[in-house]
This record gives sequence, C-alpha cells and structure tokens, in this order.
Amino acid sequence: MTDLRTIPVVAAGEERPSGGQGNLLARVFDELTAFCRSRSLFMLHYCTGCGAVELPPAMTSRFDMERLGIQPMVTPRQADILLVTGYVSTKTLKRIILTYEQMNSPKYVIGICSCTVNGGMYWQSYATAKKLNDYLPVDMYIAGCMPRPEAVISGLRELIANIRAGRSDYWRDYYRRYDHYLGNQQRLFGENWQTPTDVIAEARHYGLFGPETLGEHTALLEQHQTPLQPFEMRLGLKQDKGSSS
Amino acid sequence: MSFAGILIELTLMPLVAFTIGLFMVLMMRKIAAKIQRRVGPPLLQPLYDIIKLYSKQTQTSHGLLHDIGIVMAVGGYIAAETMVPVPGMHGIADKAGLLTLAYVTMIPSLGLALGVGQCANPNGSIGISRALTAMLAYDVPFVIIIFGTAWFYGSNNLVEVVAAQQAGGIATWGVMQMPILAIAGLFSLYAMLGKQPFEIYVAPAEIATGPMVEMGGKFLGGLFVMQCFQLFTASAIYVSLFLGGGENWPFFIAKLFFIIAIPMSLAFLFPRYRTEDVLAAVWRWPVILGLAGVWLVMH
Repeated sequence: MTDLRTIPVVAAGEERPSGGQGNLLARVFDELTAFCRSRSLFMLHYCTGCGAVELPPAMTSRFDMERLGIQPMVTPRQADILLVTGYVSTKTLKRIILTYEQMNSPKYVIGICSCTVNGGMYWQSYATAKKLNDYLPVDMYIAGCMPRPEAVISGLRELIANIRAGRSDYWRDYYRRYDHYLGNQQRLFGENWQTPTDVIAEARHYGLFGPETLGEHTALLEQHQTPLQPFEMRLGLKQDKGSSS
Repeated sequence: MSFAGILIELTLMPLVAFTIGLFMVLMMRKIAAKIQRRVGPPLLQPLYDIIKLYSKQTQTSHGLLHDIGIVMAVGGYIAAETMVPVPGMHGIADKAGLLTLAYVTMIPSLGLALGVGQCANPNGSIGISRALTAMLAYDVPFVIIIFGTAWFYGSNNLVEVVAAQQAGGIATWGVMQMPILAIAGLFSLYAMLGKQPFEIYVAPAEIATGPMVEMGGKFLGGLFVMQCFQLFTASAIYVSLFLGGGENWPFFIAKLFFIIAIPMSLAFLFPRYRTEDVLAAVWRWPVILGLAGVWLVMH
C-alpha cells in the first residue's frame, strides 16, 4: 500500500500541449473537440462486484444517462470510460489493465464503490487489490457501498465538467509515469508481467513520453519482453504437428 | 448537363444526405427513448459522437485492409446515394440504373468484410459472416421488388420511375398501383436497416457488436457516418420506388422520415432473431408477397 500523499495528482493544465495558443482557428477547434468529448462518452462497464446493480437504474428510464450523452458500449476499442464497479481481485486486475491498455485515448477510469478506493470490506483479503489508482490512473472515484444511481449520475456530471475544462488528463499520466504503474503491477503479478500492448512504443509514437516513462521497472520488462506474435493458424488436430512443438 | 454541374451535385448530395442522416439517427434514438420512457439524447448528439470519435488521440489500426475496408464501407453508400434522385438534383441517377444501384448497395458489406478480416477477432468474423448472410437474405426480395417496379414502369431508370409517379399526383404513386410490392419492399427495407429483430450481426450482448468489435476512434466514426448514409439511401430508394420520389424538399424529407419511422417504431419492441430465423422470415414473407406482386403487375 502506498501512502495517501503519494496518489498521483496531475495539476490542472500542467504540461498541456500549447498547440492552440494564439491561433484563433486552432483554439476554436480545441474548444469544439473538448466540448464534444465531454458530451459524448461511451462507457465500458467492467462489472466486478455489487456496484453493477446500480448501473441499470442509472441507464434506464428513471435516471437515463443517454440525456448526458453517455452510452454503454461493449468493447474496449469503442469505449471512453472504463467503469470498474466493485472489488478488484488480483486476477481481475490483470484483465482490467489489459482492457484499459486497449482503449483509445483520451480515456477515463471511474472507480465505483468503496472497494476500488481502499479495498472496502475486503481490506484483509490477500487476493484483493486495495487501491485501483496504484495500477491505473483513476479520474474519479464514486464512493459508497454501493453508491446510489443519483451518486453515479452526479459523479459522471462531475467527470463531464472536468473533461470540458480540460482537467481530466490522467490518461497522459499512464504514459508519462509508466514506470511507476508498471512497478506496482510487477509487485503484484511478478516480474514476468507483460501485456500485449506496448505502452512505451505508444508513448514514443504519440509524443507522450515523460521523464518517468522509463525506469528500473521498464528495464526489467525489456529483459524478458517477447514481441507480440500473431496466432498460429492451424487446421486439424494439435497432435498432427507431432512433438516438435 | 455540364461537367461542373455534375461535380457540384456530387458534392452537394452527400452533404445533404449526411445532414438528413444525422437527424434520422437522432430520431431513431429518440424513438427508442420514448418507447422506454426515457428523455433520450439531445439534438446534436449524433454529431457530438462523430466529432468525438474523429478527435481521439490514439488510434488502433490493424493494417492497410482495415483502413481501406472502412473507406469502402462509407464510399459504397455515398456512391449509392448519388444514384438516387433528390428534388432538384439527379446526380448520376439517370446514368445508373436500378441494377447498378442494387449492386452498389452491396459494396459496404463487402468492404466491411475486408476490413474486419484483418482485425483477426473471432467476434468480428462471426459478425461479418452473419452480416453477409443477412445481405443474402434481404437482397432476394429486394431484387424481386426492383424487377417488379422496373417491369411496371417499363424503365430501369430511377429518374423516369419518379417522373412517371409524379405525373398524376398520389393516385399514380407506386404504393397505390403496386400495394403488395410496396408491403414487401417495406419488409425488405426493415431487414436492410439491420434493426431488431434482424439485428443478428450487431448483437452487442452476444458477439460484442460483431463487425465493429475492433473499431475504435476514426474507424468507428467512419461507421457512424456510414450509418447516416445508410438510413438516407435506404429510405430514399424506397421513397423513389413507391412514394413518388421528391416533388420538393419539405415533402421529400417528410416522406423519408416517415418511412424510416415505421421500422424504427417496431424495432425496439422485439428481441433478436437467430440467423436461420432471419433467413426463414425474410425468404418466406417478403418473397411470397413480392412474387405475388410481380404476378399482379405482369397481368
């Protein structure tokens, strides 16, 4: 467990690209995209625990998320928000990280329920990840056991306001301080932990490199990292290939 | 018409179609919301979605065919849409016949199949095989209907078909003269839009939206644009064949929205068919109705 003071906080507007300064057209364009991003959020709910039961009322006729432009989506590629609802076991966390890395930026993570904040009632469990933001940059926590749909909606409205004002840039933090997140992941999953998404290459490609992207943990990763191979296409039974494999 | 005139029309027609398509998507979502007693999305929500998807900062491409597939999917519908006459603009409608149109409306599914193939996602492959099966299902009644209308008007040219219908007011509309074919056409249009119960290839809860499973960012944005064009093209073909085409823009737009509202109001009342049930339903009722309609037209 890390100390509360070490929770990564990116100051508002810090190190934001200064592309639109002075150029009126570019500023209008930036404003337009920021507005559209805040008003159109596709949500992938990774329903791990009891918090999932509060989402159907938030989506259906009583509270209706769609009037805020929030829609459920079913694959990480299409989604903007990753909603983690409930306790995160070590095994689940691997899947959450795989899912998160497949999403296209800008992407936002919301932790719902006490369990994602501090482990909740699973505090003493050996198999539960206590704080989600040790492993992923979390944009917003909605605390409660479980938060009612009103709380979920008000949290989402807060996220919309943050995106609109450019304060929700935590996805950059994952690229900038990848070493920190990878270190926490390695501590939990072992030194051989590797995801199919090459985060360092992505950071390099999109110019999101930060001073802490590389470090001792990424060096450890590079020692054993195997490049992603396409699945072998094979017809017939496995033993046909003989003992060579 | 001069070359410049055609160029201007080919630029204007997709823009108009896209704008109308955006409002059709909005109407579809509003109808779903009203049926489920929700408020529904705000007025410009389809536009927000598309701008947001195109402004994603990281994009996941799976290769060249993935990129080209999306271009084919969007381009196929844009091409089809320029072959349907709208009020004041014919585009290339009088040069392309109904058969060309029927062929060009198949290109988007083929392009999508090309792109999805390279994603190598099993859900995508299942989805696209179902999409091609659904295309096979609704194209059989569609071709029968096209044959019937072309036989009735003695022309393969949509501009002439529309002119013949507009000659005598509502009494000469296709729907009054060939009512059985018009019903079969509505059924076929419903299947073509791929909404419930014909939603076999999207199936979010089963195969994770099928062909769209690996599409994010600008790829999904392209598919959203494609949906706008698809709604416009499908309804414009139906209106041109059976509802007298467009005399002027207000009437034309009212007809387009009316014809899209019929399947949309029914769609959200149904669950989803299995693939073989779609084939059984679409190859039975609209085909029987269509053949009966063709028989009536020929006698």
